Amino acid sequence: MKKIFALMLALALCLSMVGGAFAEESRGTIMWLSNLSSGIQYETTRDYLTAICEKMGYKFTIVYGDMFNDAAGNLTAVSNGMTSDVVGLIASQDGGLQSIMEQYPELYVAGYNTDMTSVFTAGGANEAVLQKPKFLGTICDGFQDGADMGHQYFEVVKAKGWTKVSVVNFPGYAYPNQTAAVNAFMADVEAYNATAEAPITVVSEPLTLEFQPLADSYFLENGHDDLDAIVAFCAGIDFVYPTMVTAKLNGFCDMRTQIITGGFNNNADIIADIGEDKNIAWICISPSEDPAYPMVLLDNAISGTQFADFAVERIDSKPYVIDSVADIDAAMNLGMLGSGDVTKAQVSVDDVLNLCVRFNAEATYTGLKDLFASEQVTVDALLK
Amino acid sequence: MNWLKKHSTQVAAYSGLAVCIIFFTILTPIFGESIWSAEKIKTLMQNVIVLALMSVGAVFVYSLGSMDISIGRQVGLYATLVVIIGNATGSLLWGILLSLVISVIISAINGAAGEVLGIHPVISSLVFQMVISGVSSVIYNSIGSRNVALMNTFDVSLFRQTWFMILALVVEVLVVGYLFNFTKLGKNAKAIGANPTAARQSGIHLVQYKVYAYIIMGLCVVLASLFQMGYTASASDSTGTGFEMNVMVALILGGMPLSGGMRSRVSCAIVGSFTYALLSVGLPMLGVAANQVFVIKAVLFLIVVLLTCRKKTGVLPR
Repeated sequence: MKKIFALMLALALCLSMVGGAFAEESRGTIMWLSNLSSGIQYETTRDYLTAICEKMGYKFTIVYGDMFNDAAGNLTAVSNGMTSDVVGLIASQDGGLQSIMEQYPELYVAGYNTDMTSVFTAGGANEAVLQKPKFLGTICDGFQDGADMGHQYFEVVKAKGWTKVSVVNFPGYAYPNQTAAVNAFMADVEAYNATAEAPITVVSEPLTLEFQPLADSYFLENGHDDLDAIVAFCAGIDFVYPTMVTAKLNGFCDMRTQIITGGFNNNADIIADIGEDKNIAWICISPSEDPAYPMVLLDNAISGTQFADFAVERIDSKPYVIDSVADIDAAMNLGMLGSGDVTKAQVSVDDVLNLCVRFNAEATYTGLKDLFASEQVTVDALLK
Repeated sequence: MNWLKKHSTQVAAYSGLAVCIIFFTILTPIFGESIWSAEKIKTLMQNVIVLALMSVGAVFVYSLGSMDISIGRQVGLYATLVVIIGNATGSLLWGILLSLVISVIISAINGAAGEVLGIHPVISSLVFQMVISGVSSVIYNSIGSRNVALMNTFDVSLFRQTWFMILALVVEVLVVGYLFNFTKLGKNAKAIGANPTAARQSGIHLVQYKVYAYIIMGLCVVLASLFQMGYTASASDSTGTGFEMNVMVALILGGMPLSGGMRSRVSCAIVGSFTYALLSVGLPMLGVAANQVFVIKAVLFLIVVLLTCRKKTGVLPR
């Protein structure tokens, strides 16, 4: 018994020494407050950030934010995962950000995949975060101004020559950007129709989905059975597409009706249904290389070598548009998102290091922003 | 030996907590820092406080052999009301008072509905869960945001102080413990849970004591909602979502019989809440990935259910 006890103590000592050795080598831990917990986008981000952190000398850990972005849920998630060596937080949710930064004042925070409306809006719940010196800004999931998304979707409808569409979105209280997008889209349609030879008809009022899939009865409603397209500002792949496909099988929806939306799912059936004449005519997501943006800002801040021209702000993410069979083939086989292969990143891990002042004294914030606004992170770059 | 056999459920529950404490006390320093550091004790209490405050009150309802699945949404509603009315009036008092009134009304209806309408009390709480969800949705739709924050003029940092959390929990446990163990309120509640027919024929007014039990729980839920709101000085449309399940898990982990009755104890709520929180805080410190923590907690919960809630003739909970 004594021997076993002694053995256990020795093992514990060894473990603590090994742990200590690792702790000395690491520059600290980067924590990702994730808004996702599964799926190809989550896996790609996890692997990409892991590779970057490894190269930069950080450890990497993930905590899962509250699925409804609740402030207390996010704070609890961060608190439970917090250890003394966490030096930076990549926040993909803004709920409770002010409380998180008050509880951990030494923590550097940068956002990814979130427009942080509550931080960047006057009177927002986390407005005080903007005054905190350790807050470094965010790269949005798409456009920071929802109206830009509305204009973007309108241009697609116009380019496709569709004349009969419907609009679906999530509630404004949860996604105020989508309300702005719908308003901008409707305004664009109205302005276009004033002079158009073939005006665009938006059938019925835009439908707000309360985070439930589109109801089967949608296609039984007047005018919905022969749409050219459904303009889904919400996550249409998950909330609209399945209902549309079922409706087509049951004969309630015109076979030529297509959908344009955001979001990505690497289910083989869905991938095969993306393209010019397929059910999914157009999707727009954010480049899977976007996580590098907050990583660069965090590394600069942690190293005390921030860009000379740095400013705390939120930037749009470059639209990663897939609207053809060639595009989806390229995204799946040549890009990081579809393949899950970090070595196929359009901003490689070495490129990311080169964006940091610690590794490249010439690096600038303007250069960082320009890169993430450039063609380099689009599908078109893969095709070239 | 007889004592051990008679109290096997409590022994198992206490042993679970003891094992967690010993396990994390020994292992967490090896992986970096102790779970008993000031920072982690604070995190532990933040995990415990709302759950424990709700669970302690819920002991009254669970001892009836009943449960209330609207309490999670109630927490969200009360937190929202306190924030909105607080911002509008400059005082938290009016929101708290309104929450107390609503809580008593909901509790009275939930407590009486089962007996008066001849339905399982869970049904009425399900109705309230839906109604409160709807009300919450309307409130946040009208605000145009998914969350509301208290104005900076309010200082609710007291609710985040470890000593204040401990004080509130101790006071609640003492009050509820006294009511549960030394007054007719608790004794009759346990009697109703053990055998409602015998309780009725013994002269216990079932509707009256069920309503009392629900009201006591409701008041504890209001208190819990204050700590929930104070945690981030805000509330959202999803505040409290799923809390009713956490309460159930905590109580079962603490050895509470789902059928209620004489073996119901206030200590079940404390033991279960701390066990649950220790797992939430301790496992990540050992390097367990956040998504694996859920799996481990689920497996432990299953084991505890099988060990402590098993019928003598089968595997289903009592």
